[in-house]
Amino acid sequence: MKTAKVSKYLAYLFLITVSAIWIIPMIFGIATSFRSQAEVVNVGFRLLPVNWIVDNYMAILDNTSTAPILRWIWNSIFIATTHTLLVIVVISITGYGYSRMNFKGRDVLFFTLLGISFFPNVVNIIPSYRIIDILGWVNTPWAMIVPGLAGMGNIFLVRQFMKGIPIELDESARVDGASNFRIYFSVILPLIKPVLIVAGLFSFIGSWNDFLWPVIVYTDVQKMPVTAGLLLLQDIYGNYRLIGQLMGSAILAIIPTMLLFLFAQKYFVSAINLNSGIKG
Amino acid sequence: MNRTKYTQWFFIGPHMLLFLVFILVPSIYGVYASFTRWNLVSSPQWVGLDNYKTILFNQDSSFYHEFFNGLKNTLIFVGISVPLMVIIPLLIAVAIEHKDVKFKNFFQSIVYIPGLISISAAALIWSLIFNTQLGIVSNLFGSEFAWSATQPYAWIIIFVITVWGGTGGNMIIYRASISNVSKDLYESAEIDGAGPIQKFFHITLPSIRFPLIYTVVMTTAGAFNVFGQPLMMTDGGPRESTTVLMMYIRNLAFSHGESIAGIASAMAVLLGMIILVISACQYYVMNRNAA
Repeated sequence: MKTAKVSKYLAYLFLITVSAIWIIPMIFGIATSFRSQAEVVNVGFRLLPVNWIVDNYMAILDNTSTAPILRWIWNSIFIATTHTLLVIVVISITGYGYSRMNFKGRDVLFFTLLGISFFPNVVNIIPSYRIIDILGWVNTPWAMIVPGLAGMGNIFLVRQFMKGIPIELDESARVDGASNFRIYFSVILPLIKPVLIVAGLFSFIGSWNDFLWPVIVYTDVQKMPVTAGLLLLQDIYGNYRLIGQLMGSAILAIIPTMLLFLFAQKYFVSAINLNSGIKG
Repeated sequence: MNRTKYTQWFFIGPHMLLFLVFILVPSIYGVYASFTRWNLVSSPQWVGLDNYKTILFNQDSSFYHEFFNGLKNTLIFVGISVPLMVIIPLLIAVAIEHKDVKFKNFFQSIVYIPGLISISAAALIWSLIFNTQLGIVSNLFGSEFAWSATQPYAWIIIFVITVWGGTGGNMIIYRASISNVSKDLYESAEIDGAGPIQKFFHITLPSIRFPLIYTVVMTTAGAFNVFGQPLMMTDGGPRESTTVLMMYIRNLAFSHGESIAGIASAMAVLLGMIILVISACQYYVMNRNAA
């Protein structure tokens, strides 16, 4: 069919154009991080550097006072990793409670909490800051690690996933004398690994990239995560037009999540199939 | 058997505590604070509807102008970015799912990757693209002004970075649901002589209506909370023409001077109510039309 051929070429043309627009900023950013300041200022626009140099990265790493980028990245790694591990613990035990334990008002309670959690987040930001302040967590990693554990979205996913696991598995373990803790740990936990991996990945990425909240709760340059740190860079390097160093810092900040995507790509895509609520 | 009667609290108790402290209490307190004069430190003083009256009706007050300017800019952002973030991902998903197109996962990854980059890192990279002397855009189009300080270009760069970062997530959702549509439907439509465009409107779109509703509602709610893109790309300028409501709320509550958390809370409640009402309307309208 002729139209099928035409539409195929149109599809390719469109996808290649889109891909080029999507990828060129990244390439240009990476390339510029390897250009000297003189070249940036004098040569003008060029996609790739005339001379590849690493001076920008040396300068970035040397600055440990006003823009301690390695420190920021370490802070982000600590925050995102701890948050992710705690998310996995909390959503799996809570999901077990709401799908496997029998107690009065269980589902009413669950859906009440779920309903409340749809209340727009913007309203609770200011009081949340006050609570973090009372807990003494301003300028500490806990300000970013703990509040996100209260969310309902991932618990909903885990609960849905657990409903697909036959209750007979629990019952035969119970007959053998297993307690709830034992069933949770030995029967359910191994079976819900796929959903925990996906929830963990998205929690990590979400925590790493969070911007509004860290900008509010961190004022100490040494304590902040890298997303909040980069906001300061516009004033530190941007004012002196140190474009190469700006780019280098941005590139360093995105390497960890890129690596995660590279190694766990299939889980990112499989997330869609777990989310049965939005499947057509 | 008292022990088993309370075991559920071991499982749901810890999260319940977190939920109370970090969702329920702050949400209630956020509404309460909107009726008070509060500086975030001392205890709030009840002022009834004063904050709302000031924000909504007192034309002499700077809060009135901030609120309506912020609301206007937020609505501009929502009104333009949401259609873009639904239509562009949908087109890309349709193109990737074209039956003769190869390298599907390659194209998908390229479009998805920017979604994994934080807004601050993305903004630094894009500020280079739009840089007056060095950037691709100025050299390509020969423009010699600062994009971030000139309208409508300030808005354009905000939309560009938003679409760049936000397309991948919706695209994957659409792609997954398009690939689930039965091939028989398309084949029988072809036999009836339907072209690609007819197939798209009569088979693809109706078949993916639930993911569409979901993404429209979620994208809209997210867009109302816009903050990072204008802060990083334009710092709200030129002349506060891209300062969105979230930026005013943050400045009032957390900037260096005296905190005006009561007014900020009232603005947050108003923004929250707008989000709730619009989400509910979208869900209702789209669900009914799709049924």
